[in-house]
Amino acid sequence: CDFKSNVRMRNPAMDSSEPGQLFDDTSTSAGPQGAGHSGLDKGPVAYTGQTVLSDPMSNLAMAYGSSLASQGKEMMDKNLDRFIPVSKLKYYFAVDTLYVGKKLGLLVFPYMHENWEVCYQQDTPVAPRFDVNAPDLYIPAMAFITYILVAGLALGTQNRFSPEFLGMQASSALVWLIIEVLAVLLSLYLVTVNTDLTTIDLVAFSGYKYVGMIVGVLAGLLFGKTGYYLALLWCCASIFVFMIRTLRLKILSEAAAEGMIVRGAKNQLRMYLTMAIAAAQPVFMYWLTFHLVR
Amino acid sequence: MSGFDNFNTDFYQSSYSVDDQSQAGYGYSNTEDAYNKPYGQYDYSQPMGYTAPPGMMPQPQQPYTGQIYQPTPAFTPTSSQSMYNSSFEDEPPLLEELGINFDHIWQKTLTVLHPLKAADGSIMNETDLAGPMVFCLAFGATLLLTGKIQFGYVYGISAIGCLGMYCLLNLMSMTGVSFGCVASVLGYCLLPMILLSGFGVIFSLQGMLGIFLTAAIIGWCSFSASKIFISALAMDGQQFLVAYPCALLYGVFALISVF
Repeated sequence: CDFKSNVRMRNPAMDSSEPGQLFDDTSTSAGPQGAGHSGLDKGPVAYTGQTVLSDPMSNLAMAYGSSLASQGKEMMDKNLDRFIPVSKLKYYFAVDTLYVGKKLGLLVFPYMHENWEVCYQQDTPVAPRFDVNAPDLYIPAMAFITYILVAGLALGTQNRFSPEFLGMQASSALVWLIIEVLAVLLSLYLVTVNTDLTTIDLVAFSGYKYVGMIVGVLAGLLFGKTGYYLALLWCCASIFVFMIRTLRLKILSEAAAEGMIVRGAKNQLRMYLTMAIAAAQPVFMYWLTFHLVR
Repeated sequence: MSGFDNFNTDFYQSSYSVDDQSQAGYGYSNTEDAYNKPYGQYDYSQPMGYTAPPGMMPQPQQPYTGQIYQPTPAFTPTSSQSMYNSSFEDEPPLLEELGINFDHIWQKTLTVLHPLKAADGSIMNETDLAGPMVFCLAFGATLLLTGKIQFGYVYGISAIGCLGMYCLLNLMSMTGVSFGCVASVLGYCLLPMILLSGFGVIFSLQGMLGIFLTAAIIGWCSFSASKIFISALAMDGQQFLVAYPCALLYGVFALISVF
């Protein structure tokens, strides 16, 4: 665990339900609010250039409209926070370039890495920026979008491209991701594993396979079918090892995770579950890319 | 009271005609005033200072020469014409009122065009969408010169891209960012892409030189966009992370101009 205490830690779990803007957005503040109300007090002195707004009814309407708009925005923010926990999401995006580089290296070559444990700091997991083992959402999100664009590029070079294709590919990949996460959640529930894996963690882990898919498709574009198969094989193997090593610590019990062989049906079931999740990754990787490389 | 003034203007003017009429009509009763004066408690013959509520019908026994509503001294309804003229002169100039400041636009353009110069974080203080709009139109126009009528794609992709960058930057930075700021920065950094599509009008972009030039211009656009973002939002160690999604967005624009 290489978390240095002298690094100024930005608390990513800080609840920022009202993210303040750094700069004022002056695009809407000019104009109507200035001359509207002053016209009610003095007489025609405030007529300067605002003859349309001198009518008190339109003043009232404008004030009501702007208050309605800000109310609507507040309500939307509040409700959005209920469905999408923005502060929790912010934790997964607290990354920096060094972390991304190391993580991408891990995804492609996980064989040399020794310590797979996630560092904690007083019961809360440390931000991904400080711990290369922590899951993040930046890489999966970027990898997903890059995969869509690379798929479009691949079909474009084969003259099979159409703009609707991008939308279709994006939605089908998204649906497969949702199905996979739901399946993992269901199996975790059935096996009654006591784990601290959240749904967002599972989405992150499922999203890491897109990196391998991109590498495979790009190799297929540059070097033809053999290049595609070789690169895909390599990436499938590495994502398999990566998933097993990461999930082992989360799903299996302490003793089994440390490498000692613990007998018992429960642990065996958990081991099978881990292997099933890890084995599903290469299957999906092949399924979602083979039609792109001809 | 401005509305009331308006209302009162009409009323005031129309009441003049009523007064004239009543004055003409009740001239007959003028002679009877002398008889009614000791009878009446009030002296109705005073035209000034009459503060009876408007709309009250004039008493039949007195010449209605008074004004129903005494306007405030500053109110000069007869000079309404000149009042409008003076307000026209007092208006701020049109460009200032619209918020278009050519000097700032030029400064921001220079910041984009010099990617290696450090950016000042405060230049994005004002959300200015006029410059980006001009650049989008110019981009569409240069595409038009090559025969591709794809304004819709340009606007659609820029809208989706701005939305995506807005979500990402809000999640990645400590302080939030407004949508206008994101749209403004991304729009300004579209300027080198206009150079690319302008170049594509004359030479074809599908050769090796075209690919190299496209890659260089995408790098230039995303580098300057990320430079402005991280100086404005004070994000450290994340320049490449911000540059990558910008590069994806500008890559899509380049796809439109190349293919």
